Amino acid sequence: MHDNPQIATRQRWMGVLARAGAELARYESALKETDYQLIRAPEVGMSLVRGRMGGSGAAFNLGEMTVTRCVVRLVDGRTGYSYVAGRDKRHAELAALADAHLQGRQQRDWLERLIEPLAAAQRARRAAKAAETATTQVEFFTLVRGED
Amino acid sequence: MDLLHSSAWLQPAFNDPVLDAQVSFRAALKALAEPGLAQPLDRALALQTLQPATYALCLAFLDADTPLWLAPRFDTPAIRANLTFHCGCPIVAERELALFALLDEGELHDLSDFDNGSERYPDQSCTLLVQLAALDGGAPLRWRGPGIKDVRSVSLPLANRFWQQRSARSAFPRGLDAFFAAGVQVIGLPRSTRVLIDAEEAA
Repeated sequence: MHDNPQIATRQRWMGVLARAGAELARYESALKETDYQLIRAPEVGMSLVRGRMGGSGAAFNLGEMTVTRCVVRLVDGRTGYSYVAGRDKRHAELAALADAHLQGRQQRDWLERLIEPLAAAQRARRAAKAAETATTQVEFFTLVRGED
Repeated sequence: MDLLHSSAWLQPAFNDPVLDAQVSFRAALKALAEPGLAQPLDRALALQTLQPATYALCLAFLDADTPLWLAPRFDTPAIRANLTFHCGCPIVAERELALFALLDEGELHDLSDFDNGSERYPDQSCTLLVQLAALDGGAPLRWRGPGIKDVRSVSLPLANRFWQQRSARSAFPRGLDAFFAAGVQVIGLPRSTRVLIDAEEAA
């Protein structure tokens, strides 16, 4: 996370929005209440994903993934950006709208109404998945074979 | 908060990014294929001092691989922000590094620093995008060369100094290609076009 707390907060909500997927549709009417224009209409493209072996080795190309991005501007001039995985243009547009709204004066309101419920749902999903995976864990023991 | 600051300048670009870019690129190709014939180019809106045809050329040509040099008149925060946002092109301060240059008529008296390519890679020369107030009204000059049947008379409002600079920089295959844009029209001037000035008759 970024050192600047303002940027770190924005990174967090952009992450939550990017993972929200179809759940954002529930907030569509609220997000579209204000007039807005598309600075960059939702567009689908490829993004190269790179990684480091062990997190610290030389960078290597993992592969390409589909990404949809969008930029909107609200009537009051706030600009919202989104980059989401996949090809869901509606998701990208709503995420950009949410990002724009979250930069305004009602930030706390939007955080409570939109981001926290989404984040909680994502946390619950992740925990459930982790619990499900945990049941398949196999512990290996090596018994002393007495050869020595 | 540099990002928040610059995003305030952003405007929408092409309505339909794919089709409008293709139509604009096609118009530019046609302009080079038939030097001196004005081609319509109206797919973009004006951006501050950039007229629609000039902006459409920028949107169609520029990307992350094309360093751009901006004439002082076009070097405004809004133009910078929109070109870097929509095209992703690096904007360079040195003319030598530029693959495209966005000029107005005030910059045409000295073209010596723009790259005119090499013998081996003449295609890597700098392409001049010149915005003029109009595409006619100057002294009629006779253009000859590929894409022109016999002779075409073109009256771009340009000072003689430009034509001197252009011929000083051309040593085929090296040379400078230029687009002249005004309003919603564009005229192409590839390096292969010979421009006959006065009575001097180049073969």
